[in-house]
Amino acid sequence: MSNFIFGRYLPGHSWIHQMSPQSKLLLSFYFVIIIFFANNLISYGILSILILIVILLSGISIMYFLKGIRPLIWLIIFTVLLQILFSSGGRVLWHFGPFSVTNESLINGGFIFMRFLLIIMISTVLTLTTTPLAIADGVQTILKPLKKVKFPVDTLALMLSIALRFVPTLMDEMETIMNAQRARGVDFGSGSLKHRVKAAVPLLVPLFTGAINHAENLSTAMEARGFSDSEHRTKYRQYRWQVKDTISWLFFLAIGAVVIFIRK
Amino acid sequence: MDTAISLNKVTHTYQANTPFAQNAIDNVTLQISKGSFTTIIGHTGSGKSTLVQHINALLKPTEGHLEVLGRVIDPNTTNKNLKAFRKHVGMVFQFPEKQLFEETVLKDIMFGPKNYGVNDGEAKKSAFNAMELVGLDKALADKSPFDLSGGQMRRVAIAGVLAMNPEILILDEPTAGLDPRGHQEIMDLARYLNKNKQMTIVLITHQMDDVIDYATNVIVMDKGKVVKVGSPAQVFSDPKWVYGMQLDLPSSAEFAQQLKKAGVNIGQLPLTIDALADRIVRLVGKGDTK
Amino acid sequence: MKDIVQVDKISYNYPDQPLLFDQLSLDVHEGEWLAIIGQNGSGKSTLARLIDGLIVLNEGHITVDGLQVNDQNIYNVRSKIGIVFQNPEDQFVGATVEDDVAFGLENQLFDRSKMHDIVEESLKSVGMWDFRERIPANLSGGQKQRVAIAGIIALSPKIIILDEATSMLDPRGRKEILELVQRLKNENHLTVISITHDIDEAAGADRVVILNHGEIIDENTPRGIFSHPDKLRQIGLDAPYTSKLLAALSKRGVSDEKSYMNDEELIAWIQQLVSTK
Repeated sequence: MSNFIFGRYLPGHSWIHQMSPQSKLLLSFYFVIIIFFANNLISYGILSILILIVILLSGISIMYFLKGIRPLIWLIIFTVLLQILFSSGGRVLWHFGPFSVTNESLINGGFIFMRFLLIIMISTVLTLTTTPLAIADGVQTILKPLKKVKFPVDTLALMLSIALRFVPTLMDEMETIMNAQRARGVDFGSGSLKHRVKAAVPLLVPLFTGAINHAENLSTAMEARGFSDSEHRTKYRQYRWQVKDTISWLFFLAIGAVVIFIRK
Repeated sequence: MDTAISLNKVTHTYQANTPFAQNAIDNVTLQISKGSFTTIIGHTGSGKSTLVQHINALLKPTEGHLEVLGRVIDPNTTNKNLKAFRKHVGMVFQFPEKQLFEETVLKDIMFGPKNYGVNDGEAKKSAFNAMELVGLDKALADKSPFDLSGGQMRRVAIAGVLAMNPEILILDEPTAGLDPRGHQEIMDLARYLNKNKQMTIVLITHQMDDVIDYATNVIVMDKGKVVKVGSPAQVFSDPKWVYGMQLDLPSSAEFAQQLKKAGVNIGQLPLTIDALADRIVRLVGKGDTK
Repeated sequence: MKDIVQVDKISYNYPDQPLLFDQLSLDVHEGEWLAIIGQNGSGKSTLARLIDGLIVLNEGHITVDGLQVNDQNIYNVRSKIGIVFQNPEDQFVGATVEDDVAFGLENQLFDRSKMHDIVEESLKSVGMWDFRERIPANLSGGQKQRVAIAGIIALSPKIIILDEATSMLDPRGRKEILELVQRLKNENHLTVISITHDIDEAAGADRVVILNHGEIIDENTPRGIFSHPDKLRQIGLDAPYTSKLLAALSKRGVSDEKSYMNDEELIAWIQQLVSTK
């Protein structure tokens, strides 16, 4: 049984779910840029309220968003501490050797923390409300202009979608192979580095062999179903730009303007 | 008979403490005797695989405890102690050929014993013994396992487990995808190991005829719980109940059911072809047919 | 009867391997269910791949519905044939059930407006419409095979090849898939070629061909084939249940001149014996 939640997508029919993926992708990107323009308490406050509204609109429990932070917590703490301890300027509150804490460095640390938080939140909204397939389709739509210069946009999107589709399969297989080798006396994840590298061989060789087998069989099956060239196919799915997208963009653009306007 | 495996109120929850928490097995208590040939049946998703993975400590119970060959595992058992535990419990997974990785057949079969500290010479000896048991020609020892046929690869994988000389052997649908001859050879091997090497066999299967032909004990699982334990005759005695568990009857019982429906008074359901044939002969009156 | 597939004196070997087929010939009649049985490695699946032009012949010809299988015709040939492969996992191309069914339609440049109706109709015909938004990881093997069949039906082929399509399923899933294909065959006037080592699957066929080491060693109705259970066993296959029961009865002195009966016939015969005792 797989305990892996694919792409962590949670089905729903909220405003955010219904937006077109290309617009969500670009909007997230735009939001990240705006975050870097924010440099005072009010602008961070506005962005936090914005993200809170987005989270509420997605209809997904805030618990999932907090879980998104967990794997990155050490990176965040490390970066924030670095900022606090090594930045100079402002009134010194405490110092020890090369380290010093000033009122400004504290504020900067807080801002860095907010940036992390906001970026994690917006990307979590994206992945929780958009299927991997839709993300692949969104990328395809965004890259469409590149077709003019013969860039294989459709092939890339198909490859991406197939790769995403096989993630859970390979995760399952990895778990089974690990279990099988554990049953044969392998210790994963303990001992010296050399020991760990050695233990990876009985896992990686079968995993790659399996992946190659999947790929061979899949390509035969695709051929049998009339596949020849991904640049000349019709598309079953189409994600149209909707009124919801326009409204969201107008709202985000306005907020962006405010953030830049009140920039110190 | 001595008990080889005993589970005491074992519950296993996947992704405990998350919104996705799911009881894969729920409050399971059961005993498996030393030297028995036990089959576990139940429809897909009933918890069979989760159950057997506890027997060699690939999973630890989230509640309850189990005892295998005198060693106890409970939720607090540390991972360090698991290796010794696994040494005596061999596990053949579904499509075990997927676990092969070494350059040669022999090396792959020696992999298990060597991990458990057996020296090269001994491991080699065990490997050749195991090859003989599964019917692999010695000449294949230096070949790459990836150059073999699917059926041969499966034998190599099974040999790799047998080379560790386990006392308990768990087989999770070991014949899936094999042709009838391959199927019978693997099943006969399991019987041989049980009868001649005194191995305790635990087999997960969907083939009810195999339950009848090979097993001494049957465990029926449904929705993570053990719903029946007994001999094959006991478990299949109530066709309605069997169908309700989304299981099939063995072929002979199924055929007898059809005869019953056609109005032939067959009596208690026979489980084997011979039992059914005897019953029919008795009804017909031996020898007085054209 | 018209032959929809003609295999004419073909030879084939995999690179660096001895000849698998040497001058093999076989005709498949339009509208029949042909079972090709043989043990693993007998060349059954290779034959299916040759018919669909997925691998290339050394010698001989294969014709599918009047078209010779060659580079020029390959896409037309493939549009007439749908193959359900053995491993349910490895033929699921789409990210969801719906997308997978649409994959073949997209390849054949169907208009988007038509695609949705066809996908819906095909998924409904295999009973998977309610699962349309599922991802493959959340489907059982039998369900994945249903989706594969829907993907084939969507393209309205003339021939369905089941390449060990049920061998990785449990007995129940196996039975359900076979019943489904039988129903679709009748509804859509299909020709079915089922490649299998499951004797029960072969029992439902109109005609059975036994392939052993690349050679056709027997060809008959299921009844004709099953009348010689010993021969089946010799080449590593099982005898059908009714043959085994008949043999057990005849060992006990109850026998009939018929050497094979299907379930209904055997039941009727036993019924008669018991009542005329």
